[in-house]
Amino acid sequence: MNAKERILHALGRRDVPKELPAFDIGPMRFSDVGAAFSEALEAAGGETVESRETSAETIAGHFVFEGRIVDTRESVTSTTNDRNIGLLIVEAEFGVAENGAVWIDPKERYPREVLTLAENLAVVLKREAIVPTMHEAYERIDFAEISYALFMAGPSKTADIEQALVIGAHGAIGMKVFLEGEG
Amino acid sequence: MSGRFPPMDHAKNAAEFTADSERAHWHDRALWFVRQKRDRAAKSVPEWESLREAAETIKMHTMEHLGFYLERFESQARRNGIEVLWAADAEEFRHIVAEILREHGAEKVVKSKSMLTEECGLNPHLESLGIEVTDTDLGERIVQLAGDHPSHIVLPAIHMKKEDVADIFSKYLHTDPDNADPFYLTRAARDHLREKFLDADAAITGINFALAEEGGFVVCTNEGNADLGTALPNLHIACMGLEKIIPSAQDLGIFTRLLARSATGQAITTYTSHFLKPKPGGRLYVIIVDNGRSRLLNTRHNKALSCIRCGACMNTCPVYRRSGGHSYGYVIPGPIGSVLAGAREIERFASLPFACSLCASCDNVCPVRIDLHAQLYRERRAAINVPSYGEKRRLLHLAAWVMQRPKLYGVLMKTVRFVLPLLPRALVYNRFNVWGREREVPEPAKRSFSEIYRERR
Repeated sequence: MNAKERILHALGRRDVPKELPAFDIGPMRFSDVGAAFSEALEAAGGETVESRETSAETIAGHFVFEGRIVDTRESVTSTTNDRNIGLLIVEAEFGVAENGAVWIDPKERYPREVLTLAENLAVVLKREAIVPTMHEAYERIDFAEISYALFMAGPSKTADIEQALVIGAHGAIGMKVFLEGEG
Repeated sequence: MSGRFPPMDHAKNAAEFTADSERAHWHDRALWFVRQKRDRAAKSVPEWESLREAAETIKMHTMEHLGFYLERFESQARRNGIEVLWAADAEEFRHIVAEILREHGAEKVVKSKSMLTEECGLNPHLESLGIEVTDTDLGERIVQLAGDHPSHIVLPAIHMKKEDVADIFSKYLHTDPDNADPFYLTRAARDHLREKFLDADAAITGINFALAEEGGFVVCTNEGNADLGTALPNLHIACMGLEKIIPSAQDLGIFTRLLARSATGQAITTYTSHFLKPKPGGRLYVIIVDNGRSRLLNTRHNKALSCIRCGACMNTCPVYRRSGGHSYGYVIPGPIGSVLAGAREIERFASLPFACSLCASCDNVCPVRIDLHAQLYRERRAAINVPSYGEKRRLLHLAAWVMQRPKLYGVLMKTVRFVLPLLPRALVYNRFNVWGREREVPEPAKRSFSEIYRERR
């Protein structure tokens, strides 16, 4: 027997299980999902910016950085091993009020690595695209269409040295979400 | 493995840790702080208990049907272009990883956190083949440079002080040995590891959740090291213990809400990354590892396989906080580590079920409701029968024999009450009196309860 057969043999039954019943979680609700989102994102070290206008120049004005701007809303040439992205602008499909996370799917429109190579990350999000919790978030995702995508909540961070929180581990050092639309 | 290693003595190891009382107190307080953050996060979610119950149900259901879900995962992942390989034990796993790396001519590997690779001794094996492995999680990089091992599954370097880190970094990253500022040291590590990322031929990651229905998997980090590491090179090898499978992505709503809140008190990890297909032009492998897990499935410890590795049981454990992760002598420390180690190899880890006050705090914080303290209590029955507990076992048998004989017991206790106060201190506090090592033996009462009861009834 090969390893797979040995393991499956040791695990025993392989019949098709009955589907699990739906869980009645009764997830939390917010009177103002936008405010809840902002608060959660701030707790995660990020920031929300209310913005009617989201041109690259306007967004760049909210950051202090060196290096170039990559706006993924326009076409992006290959940037593998690019050490010089000061600001990356991406769109998020939706946000999550309970934890300040945004769902980012590069969709092969730009290479995965720019998301973590960039020193600063600007995320453009439509205000009406904020769901209350992760339950509603996962209902929105079609996994058949995904290659690599992520929830991101604030800038990269670590507390591995004496539990002291340091913003900026391997990915973005600064992360701001620009909320588009009426407040 | 039994017999290859001498029995591990938790109490002895713990004594070494507590010898530095200041450091031990810092450790205790630091972890209690994490526990308090967890409490605040859990309390902010009114449906917390429903989430725990749902997570427990999903995990128990999945464990019952592991064979089905793993095969489903394999076929769905293949459709996505992911190559799935199976390893029955640590040796097979090491061999498979080494073979893949050799095939692709990979010589430099960046690795994000995976307790499985630690369990299977992957780093030393790859290094023996001349492959450079760089742990990229900051805590893991610190212990790797120190030639040490993680002492906590979420906070690998929690046993070290910032001065220790400054010392190690000054040797390897040429930082200022007198600057122990966490910000300064973290930035230095960022620069150092950025070079490693850009230079890597392959990435190895763990897996937090593998999705049977979608044929993909989720990796959670705060540092972004798994994302950066896997995005750059064309080869990504993801490693999972076979218990990491869940039925579908819809279950992620429940698990992602529980994991980070339980681990660090964050509402979600900074990066919750979903890998479904290889990157364009790249190769993606998933290795499913058994290494003793299927054996556990058919024992009374099967529930321990539900663990999602949040570390909450460690942070709350009064013994772990005061004895440090290394005192357990197993890759996973704390309550869950004691259960897993004991279930695997009770002869070597017989002291671990006793490294527990049976307070059950671990049960109450566990996001998947593993009955840890009950498991440890049951494990004691197996532990007491191992050879190294012969002396203790015989004494307990003797005590049981005496206690079944009330008259003899009465006479003996009366003698003790009379003799004990007359004995010189050296005779009472000797190496056989374990209880008296840290405490005073109470002064014996003049008369026993039975005597008083007989007089007054």
